[in-house]
Amino acid sequence: MTVDLTTRRPPARDTAVALSGVAKTFGTGAGAVTALHGIDLTVGDGEFVCVLGASGCGKSTLLNLLAGLDAPTSGTVAVGAPRPSFMFQEAALMPWLTALRNVELPLQLAGHGRAARRARAEELLALVRLEGLGAKRPHELSGGMRQRVSLARALAAATGLGDAPGAGGLLLMDEPFAALDAITRDVLQGELLRVWRATGTTVVFVTHDVREAVRLAERVVLLSSRPGTVVREWTVPAGGHDTEARTALHDDITGRLRQVITSHAA
Amino acid sequence: MPREDTSIAVVNDDRDSAAAVAGLDALDTPVERTTPWWQRFLRAWLPPIVALALIVLVWQVVWASAVLPEYQLPAPGDVAEAFGRTVVTGEIFSILWTSVSRAALGFLLALVIATPLGLVVAKVPVVRAGIGPLLTGLQSLPSVAWVPAAVLWFGLTDATVFFVVLLGSVPSIANGLVAGIDQVPPILPRAGQVLGATGYRMARHVLLPAALPGYLAGCKQGWAFSWRSLMAAEIIAAGPALGVGLGAYLKNGADVNDIVQVFAAILLILVVGIGIELLVFRPLERRVLRARGLALSV
Repeated sequence: MTVDLTTRRPPARDTAVALSGVAKTFGTGAGAVTALHGIDLTVGDGEFVCVLGASGCGKSTLLNLLAGLDAPTSGTVAVGAPRPSFMFQEAALMPWLTALRNVELPLQLAGHGRAARRARAEELLALVRLEGLGAKRPHELSGGMRQRVSLARALAAATGLGDAPGAGGLLLMDEPFAALDAITRDVLQGELLRVWRATGTTVVFVTHDVREAVRLAERVVLLSSRPGTVVREWTVPAGGHDTEARTALHDDITGRLRQVITSHAA
Repeated sequence: MPREDTSIAVVNDDRDSAAAVAGLDALDTPVERTTPWWQRFLRAWLPPIVALALIVLVWQVVWASAVLPEYQLPAPGDVAEAFGRTVVTGEIFSILWTSVSRAALGFLLALVIATPLGLVVAKVPVVRAGIGPLLTGLQSLPSVAWVPAAVLWFGLTDATVFFVVLLGSVPSIANGLVAGIDQVPPILPRAGQVLGATGYRMARHVLLPAALPGYLAGCKQGWAFSWRSLMAAEIIAAGPALGVGLGAYLKNGADVNDIVQVFAAILLILVVGIGIELLVFRPLERRVLRARGLALSV
């Protein structure tokens, strides 16, 4: 029996995100800071892309541009999803709402009816393995559980009631696991992959952890610092169990990242 | 068969990760400690009851030592008797109703005015720069100072009373809301924004609930100010159109040198103040804080 490896990767995807020649400068004149410069980046529908870089590479600026919270100084940003949703380092749950009501909030803001949004929120909580914990308040949950509620909420924001055609949505993640302990982070990375496979959501995941990027992404994009430009892209070998190839990739990316950082020493 | 192997591996993988997640959740979930009701009772109620008993005891001892003449310091028993008499005749209920209904109405009116005011001051920089200091200034101005002016404008009517009550409580409530909004962690409005909240919805679903603890503290202070202002107004501006509230009751006692009635009135004013705090604001505050995991220690 032969397994056709080429079918693992969908051949042609619609484009979820397209950046071309994007630059972002804060301030004007002598004090101006260029955060991003000449960024060309396309993300396919349903793709998982990690944006990797050291401090000052404009990762957060990039996500803000994608979320529509900020406008580029030049270049174009095209985002296919109607409402990109955002996940932060903190869970940023509303402390006065229960877990379930937190997940319902984006649906409520989008004007969905009570019964429909409750059913959808329960579905999403079950997806992140928090079934039956909807009545808990954020302070009654552990950090990892809060971050999963936050993931469910982000999915609710990105996909709505989940019944619209092609409503995979776009999930922007700004180092969402950086504040967690190592064990929880490891488990949540696995959970995120499972949820991503189950929902078909497009994910743009910002991190400064090479291991995390290699483990999660289908594609890793390395940004330089001050200003942020795309240094290189790597496609991560699919399959997940080819540890040797992954280690090699990890070392390769780490090497380039090291180069980028040392270039700032002078 | 490789295909079958992979699917089994996937199922096992999934079961493993489910177990890992469940195990982590079990280990990491914060444990809620609950104290039995009698312990809470002992901690919350016993100290004030003992303190009150001690105060009455000291009062009784001072009265019994006769260092002050009877017309200056009445016996605790006499005051209790005067108090009991007003209850028996039903006078106390009309007095309390007159004052408390006025204060409550004034307070509600103040809420209606102060809430949008506070929201605007907190969110619009120009307005804050313009009237923020004025609000704080008004808060430190004793609202009694307005009584003479209000009497000249409105005469001895309810309008005078409400005017004074409003000037006493609106700045406190508005300032409380401003402080509450200022203390909202910036991540919450940001999260609200990416979830699709703007304008009114942002205020309704994010800012106001997030600012609720500070707002409630402002309301509590606003109530205290409106109650104080009301008493001052009732003592200074007495007239037939105003009826007999607690302030007038106190003033009537003072006018006929009846120290027992004066003491009874002061005690009643105090009891109403403490009662509203314990029956209305404390439970409300406790609920709000507990829902956010910020429970009071008792």
